[in-house]
Amino acid sequence: MTKKYILPYPIFLRFSLCYLIFCAFTTISSAQTTLKGTVKDEKGMPIEFATILIKGTNKGTTSDLDGRFEVPISPKDQQIEVGYVGFTTETLDIAGQTRMEIVLKEAISVMKDVVVTGYATQQKSRLSTAVASIGNKDFKDQPVTNVASSIQGKISGIQVTSPSGTPGAGLLVSIRGAQNPLYVVDGIPMLSESNSAIATSFDTNGESVGAGQNISSINDINPNDIESIDILKDASAAAIYGARAANGVVLITTKRGKSGETSFNFNAYTGIQQPVRKIPFMSSEQFIAMINEARSNDLARYKADKTVFGKDFDPSVLTKPLNYSASGQNTVWLDEVLRNAPMNNYELSARGGTDKTRFFISGGYYDQQGIVIESAYKRLGARMNIDHSVNDRFSIGANMSFNHSQNRRSFNDNTYSGIITNALGASPLMPAYEKDGNYASFEKYQANWLSDNPVKSAHELYGFTKSYRFLGSTFAEYKITNDLKFRSVFSTDFTTLNDDFFASPITTDGSAVGGKALNSSYQGLVWLNENILTYQKSFGIHNLSVLLGSTNQQNISSRTSIAGQGFPIGSGLQLASSAATLVPAPATQIPAWKLRSGFGRINYDIAGKYLFSATLRADASSRFSKNQRIGYFPSFSFGWNAHEEAFLKNHNTISFLRLRASYGVTGDQEIGNFQNTSLWKPARYLGVSGLAQRNLADPNLTWQKNIGTDVGIDIELWKGSLSASLDFYSANRKDLLSMVPIAGTTGFSSLITNGGEIQDKGVEFSITSRIIKTDDLKLSTSFNFTYQKNTIKSLLVDDELVSAYSDITPTHIMKVGESIGSFWGVKYLGVDTKTGSPMYEDLNKDGKIDADDSQIIGKARPDFFGGWTTLLSYKGLDASISFQFSKGNQVYNLIRPVYENLGYGNGGGLDQAFANNSTRVLNRWQKPGDVTDTPRFSFIEKNYIESSSQFVEDASFLRVKSLNIGYSFNAGNRKWFKSARLYTQAYNLFTFTKYSGFDPEVSSTGGNNDRTAGINYAAYPQPRTLTVGLNLGF
Amino acid sequence: MKKQIIFLLTIALFFGSCSKLDVTSLTDVTDEKVFQNADGVRSAVVGMYSQLQKREYYGGFYPLMSDLHTDMVNAGGYENTVLNEFGDRAVSPSNGFVEQMYVSIYKTIRIANGIINSVETKSDYGFDAAEKNQLLGQALGVRALAHFDLLRLFGYHWDINSPLGIPIVTTVQNATDILDRSTVKATYDAIQKDLNQAEVLLKNVTLEGNYMSLNAVKGLLARLALYKKDYTAAKKYSSELLKTSNYAFLDSTQVQKIYADRLTSESIFELGFDIQNQSAYNALTYARKDALTTEVFYLASSALKDFFDVRSNDQRAALLDYKNNDIGFSDNGRSQKYRGEVTKDNPAYILRLAEMQLILAESNGFTKEGVAALNQLRLQRGLKKATIDNKAEFQNTILDEILAEFNFEGHYYFDLARLGLLKERTGIANFRSVFPVPLREINVSQGKMKQNPQY
Repeated sequence: MTKKYILPYPIFLRFSLCYLIFCAFTTISSAQTTLKGTVKDEKGMPIEFATILIKGTNKGTTSDLDGRFEVPISPKDQQIEVGYVGFTTETLDIAGQTRMEIVLKEAISVMKDVVVTGYATQQKSRLSTAVASIGNKDFKDQPVTNVASSIQGKISGIQVTSPSGTPGAGLLVSIRGAQNPLYVVDGIPMLSESNSAIATSFDTNGESVGAGQNISSINDINPNDIESIDILKDASAAAIYGARAANGVVLITTKRGKSGETSFNFNAYTGIQQPVRKIPFMSSEQFIAMINEARSNDLARYKADKTVFGKDFDPSVLTKPLNYSASGQNTVWLDEVLRNAPMNNYELSARGGTDKTRFFISGGYYDQQGIVIESAYKRLGARMNIDHSVNDRFSIGANMSFNHSQNRRSFNDNTYSGIITNALGASPLMPAYEKDGNYASFEKYQANWLSDNPVKSAHELYGFTKSYRFLGSTFAEYKITNDLKFRSVFSTDFTTLNDDFFASPITTDGSAVGGKALNSSYQGLVWLNENILTYQKSFGIHNLSVLLGSTNQQNISSRTSIAGQGFPIGSGLQLASSAATLVPAPATQIPAWKLRSGFGRINYDIAGKYLFSATLRADASSRFSKNQRIGYFPSFSFGWNAHEEAFLKNHNTISFLRLRASYGVTGDQEIGNFQNTSLWKPARYLGVSGLAQRNLADPNLTWQKNIGTDVGIDIELWKGSLSASLDFYSANRKDLLSMVPIAGTTGFSSLITNGGEIQDKGVEFSITSRIIKTDDLKLSTSFNFTYQKNTIKSLLVDDELVSAYSDITPTHIMKVGESIGSFWGVKYLGVDTKTGSPMYEDLNKDGKIDADDSQIIGKARPDFFGGWTTLLSYKGLDASISFQFSKGNQVYNLIRPVYENLGYGNGGGLDQAFANNSTRVLNRWQKPGDVTDTPRFSFIEKNYIESSSQFVEDASFLRVKSLNIGYSFNAGNRKWFKSARLYTQAYNLFTFTKYSGFDPEVSSTGGNNDRTAGINYAAYPQPRTLTVGLNLGF
Repeated sequence: MKKQIIFLLTIALFFGSCSKLDVTSLTDVTDEKVFQNADGVRSAVVGMYSQLQKREYYGGFYPLMSDLHTDMVNAGGYENTVLNEFGDRAVSPSNGFVEQMYVSIYKTIRIANGIINSVETKSDYGFDAAEKNQLLGQALGVRALAHFDLLRLFGYHWDINSPLGIPIVTTVQNATDILDRSTVKATYDAIQKDLNQAEVLLKNVTLEGNYMSLNAVKGLLARLALYKKDYTAAKKYSSELLKTSNYAFLDSTQVQKIYADRLTSESIFELGFDIQNQSAYNALTYARKDALTTEVFYLASSALKDFFDVRSNDQRAALLDYKNNDIGFSDNGRSQKYRGEVTKDNPAYILRLAEMQLILAESNGFTKEGVAALNQLRLQRGLKKATIDNKAEFQNTILDEILAEFNFEGHYYFDLARLGLLKERTGIANFRSVFPVPLREINVSQGKMKQNPQY
C-alpha cells in the first residue's frame, strides 16, 4: 500500500532512460592544439581561478595560482572569453594564437554579474524583473545558523525578523509583505518549516493553546557553504516557480569546485554571547514596599467608601502585617536563568579539480550554547559538490550535503511552564535553591504567577530535538547542438527528526504522575525530477533564449509519537518505553502530496536594448480536487536599457540606465494536505475504535493567486561608482487560502477555502556607492529603504476576531481596510491625576469598560524598514558595519501585565502576591496631582486590562546589526599558507528602541501566522555575540 | 508562438502524468466511505460518543463552565482572561470558550445526523431490525441531549413562548448553510420528538450505563418534562426510573463511591473515560496535591463552604476540601469529586438517580408527596428531614439540594435560570441566565442569528 508513495518508479525509469540516450549521442572530438597563457590584473598580479571559456562551447579551464592556464582548442574555435568575478569579462580572438598574455580590468559595475533566475542564469544587465542578489562576502563570518540572517537589513523589500533568540530558531522572512518564501538550494526546493513535535505552547492542563517556538529546518544549510543568494522579488521573476512562489523565492547557490591546484580553506571563530538587555526587576525591599503601598492605597479607598470592594469585604487583609518580609534574600531571577554563553564554529573546505572534474568539499562543526541556561544547539555537517565533463557536450554532477543537528530545547516563547515565563515575575524573596541544596519549592513563596521554579524547569524539563538531513541531487546536461541543451536533475531531500521530551517527577508537570515523557519521530522525503530544455541563439541583433521544462515532485512524511507517564524512581530512565502507562495512545500522521508542473520562459532582446521576457507555468497539485487541480501562472516583463541608445551612449556620467515593468501571477498551495476532502479520523470510546469527523472541506478549493506588478528603474553613474534602484510595486494576494469562519451549526468553526484579497503596496529604494576605490583604500556604502502598506481589500467574513492563544480574549482583528495583524483591545487613556485609576475609552458609552469597548489599537507591521552597510578597507585592514531599522511596528506585549501588575494580589490574600514587578512601575501615581502613565498600586483591584493599549508598545528600532574588523596578512612567499585573515565580529551590538521588553523584533506565535503577528509572550531573549576568528587559505 | 508554447507545455505535462496525481490519506477515511456500509455507521457511533468526550463538552467544560457562572465556583488559572469572564460573570460574545462549546456540541449533532440519515435511508446496508433500532435510538438520544444542552446554554429555555430558542439541526449541514434560531417551543418539540422515537426504538435494547440506553432516554424525558413544566410526564419518568431494580441509592456513608467507583447503582448515564482517553476534570479541578490556584481552573468558593457549614451531617460536604490546599487558596477549596491524578479517567455524570429524585419532588410541587420525595434524598445523604412551611421554602430547599448534590456537575446554573432565580440567589443579573451567542455566529450568519438580549 505504501509502496506507491515511496518509490516513484516510472520517474526513475524515465530518468535512467535519459542517460542512455545521452550516452548514445556522445561523439569523439576532433584534432586539437593547445592554447597557453596567463591572466593578470592591471597591476600585473596573477589572477587565480579566472575562467577561460571557448566561445560557443562549454570547453574551458581556470587559471592556476600564478594565473597560468592551458586549454585545448580545435581549429574551428574562434574566440575565448576570459572573466573573473569583479573584473570585466574580455572576449579575445584566438585565431593563430598559441600563447596569450591577458590583462583583466577591474569592474566597478555589477551589471555584468550573473544572477540565478530559476532553472537558468542571466546577466544582470539583461534582466527586466526585480531580482536581488547578495554574495558570500556580504555575510561571511557572521555567527548565525540561519541563512536568512545573511540578508537581514541588506536588501530592500525584504524584511527578516528574529522572533526569538532560541538557538536554532526560525526567522520570519517576508518578501514584499508575504511571509515564508520558497527556498531553493542548488535547484532543490527545500522544506523550511519546523518539523518538531515538541510544542512549547501549552497551558497548565497540558493542552496546546497555540503555535509557539519555531525552529526552522532551513538551519540545515550552513551559511558559509553558500556562494550567493538571489531573491526573486516580483511576481514576474518568481512566476517560473508558479505554484510555490506566491511568497517569493530565495535561490541559494552553494560553492562549487574550480579547476586548478586544490586550495584549502580553514575558518574558525569562537565567541561569547551575552543577554543584550535584562528587564530590571524590583528588589525584595521594593517588592514589599509596593505591596504595602498597594494595601494602604486600598485601605484609604475602603475608608472613604466601605462598599467599594463589595459588601462582604474583610478589611483585615489590608491592615494585618504581611506574612513575609524582606529577609536578606534578594534573587535576581533573570541572572539565575540567563548567562554568558560560548559559541564555536570550525569549518574546513577544499576546492579544486582538473579541466574535466571539479569538486568542492566542506565540513563544519557549530556549537552554540544558549544564553538561557540548559539550552544549546549543535550542528555537524558535510557537503560535496562535483562537476564532471564527460566530453565537450556531456557533463554530469552531483551535490550532496548531510547535516546532523542537536537542539537542547528551552521552554519559552509562549508557554506557562517556560523558564523565561516564570523568571519574569518570580518573587525576589524566593531563592533558586534551599539551603539543603534542593530546588526551592515555589509553592512556599509569594508570586502565584509561577507554575514552577524557573531554575528547576530549566534543569528538569528535558527537551531534545535531533535532526538528520540529507540533501542530494544528481544532474546531467547534454548539448544537443551548440544552441540547444538538455538538463535533467534528480534530487531528494530526506529528513529524520527525533523529539524527546521528559518532565522529571519533581517538576510541576510531572509530579502528579511520576514523570512524563513524549517521544516522537518524524521522517520526511521529497523526490524531485526536473527536465529542462534550453535554446539560446542570436540572430544578428536579435537575441533569443527559450526554456522549456517539466518537473515532478512528491513528498511523503510520517510522524509517530508516544507519550508515557510514571517512571521508575531514581532510575534516570526518560523514554516512554520505560513508562508505567502510555497516555494517550500512540499517534501517527502520514501527510503526502504531489506536484506536477510544466513551464516555459522566453527571453528576447534587441541588441541588449529592448528586453522582453515571458513565462508560463502550469502546476497540478494533489492538494486540490480533480477539477480545480491545475493552475496557470503567466508573467511578462519589459525592460529598456536606455544607456544603449545613441543619446546616452558614452555619456560621461550615466553609464547604465534601465527602466523596467513587469506583471506576473504566482500561486500558493500551502494549506496542508488533504484539505479538499472531508475526512474522518480515528476516535475511541471505552476501548473501541471508531471514526469521528476531522474537517469539513470545500471541494472547490483551488490555488491562491498572487498578482504582482512592478515598475522600476536601475541606474549606474560613473561606471558603477554609484548605483541605485527604485521600485514601485503592488502585490495582490487573491482567492486567499484562508480559514474562513462558518456557522457553528455545521459542527465546525471554520472552512479552508478561497476568499478575500490582501494587498501590499510599496516603494523600495537602494543605493550603493563605491566612494573610494584606490589600490590601498576602498570605501563603499549601501543603503536600502522600503516603505510598505498592507491593506485587507476584501474578506469572506469581515471583522473576524482572532486570538493569539485560545485561552485569551481576542487579540487581533481581520477587518477590511485595515492591515493584517491589527491589534484589538480597549483604548487606554492614561491615569486619572485625581484618583490614580486607569482610564479607558468607553466606546459604546454604556458606562462600563468591557470587551464591547474594543477597537483597533495598533498594528504589527512597520511603515518602513531598511538597512545601511558600510565597508572600508585599507591595505590589509578591513572593516564593515551594518545597521538595520524599522519604524512604525508595534508589539502587543502580553507578558507585561504579569510583571506590571502594580501589586495586585490575585485573590491570594496575605500570603500571596501575583508577581514581582519591573522597576518601570516605580513611576506610578502616588498622590493627587501626579502625572504619570502608570496607575496607582492596588492589592485588591486590577488596575490594568490585559487586552488594552496599555500594553501595546512602539517597537521601532535602529540596530547596529554587525561590526566586523579584520586584518589580512601579507602572504608573501610563505609556504604554509596562501592567505590569512584574522577578524573580530560583534553581532547584534546595540539596539536603540523605546520598547521595554527584551527585543523589539519579537513575535511569539510562531512563524506562520501573520494574522496574530507582533505578540510578545516571554520570548527567548536575543543575544549579543562577540567573536574572534581566523580564516586560513593554504 | 504562444500557442506552440502552450502546446509544448501541455505535452510536457502529459509526459509527466503517467503516475497518478491523487494521494490518499493513510490516517483518515473520506466522508463518503464512512457512510458507505454498515461497518462505517457502527464506527461513527463510536465517534459520536468520542465527540461527547471532548474537553469543550462533557470532557469538562460544559458542566464546569456553567457552575463557574454561579457564586459557588471561582476561576483559578493564570489570569486566563477567557476564563475570568466566567469567573467575573461577565461573559462577552467574543469569549472563546463559549464559541468552542457551541461548535463542539453542534459537531456531536452532525455525527448523530450522519448516522440517523444512513440508518433511515440506506436499506441495503444489511442492518437487522434490532441493530437498526439500537443505532438509530442512540443517535436520536444523543441528538436530543445535545440540542437540550444547547438550549440550556444559549436559549430562553424557561419561557416556552420565547422566540429565542436555538438553531435545530436535523440534516448534515453544508459548509455554507446558515440556520435561524427556532422558537423555544419548536426546540422543545424537536427534542421531545427525538426522545419519544428513541424510547420506542431502544425498548428491547440492552446497553450499559456508559451509553445512551433506554433508561438514559427516560431520564432525559424526565428532565425535559420538568423544563417544559409538564409535571405529569416528569413524575411518570422519574418515578419509573426510581423504581427500576438496577438503580439504588448508596448508603449515606458511601456517597464518595459515586465518584471513586465507576457505574455505581446511582448512575443512569455516565460518559466513560480511560487512561488513554482522559477527561479534563481532574486537571481542571484538582491538578496535583500542591497545586496553586493558578494551576486549577475551577475553585470551590467560600460561599459553597458557608453553604455546607450549616448542613450538619451532609455526607456530600466531604467531597469538598478547604483545608489541604496551598496557602494561596485562602478561602477557596477544591472539589474532591474528580480525584485520580494518575489515570485522569473521571467520567462525566450526565444522569444520576439523585436528579430523578429531585425531579420527582419538584414535579409533585409543594405537596406531601413532593416534600416526602425531597426528604428521601436528604435522608440518603445523612441529613435530617426538612420541615417546609411554604412553596417558596420548598423551592429553595430543592435548589439547596441541587447545589449540595450536583456542585461541579453542571446543574445549579441551569436550574437557577429555569426558575428565574439567578439574580435572587447569586446576585448575577438575570439576563445572564443564558450565555451570549458567539459573536462569530452573528458575524457569519449575515444578520440571521439574533443575539440574546443585553449582550
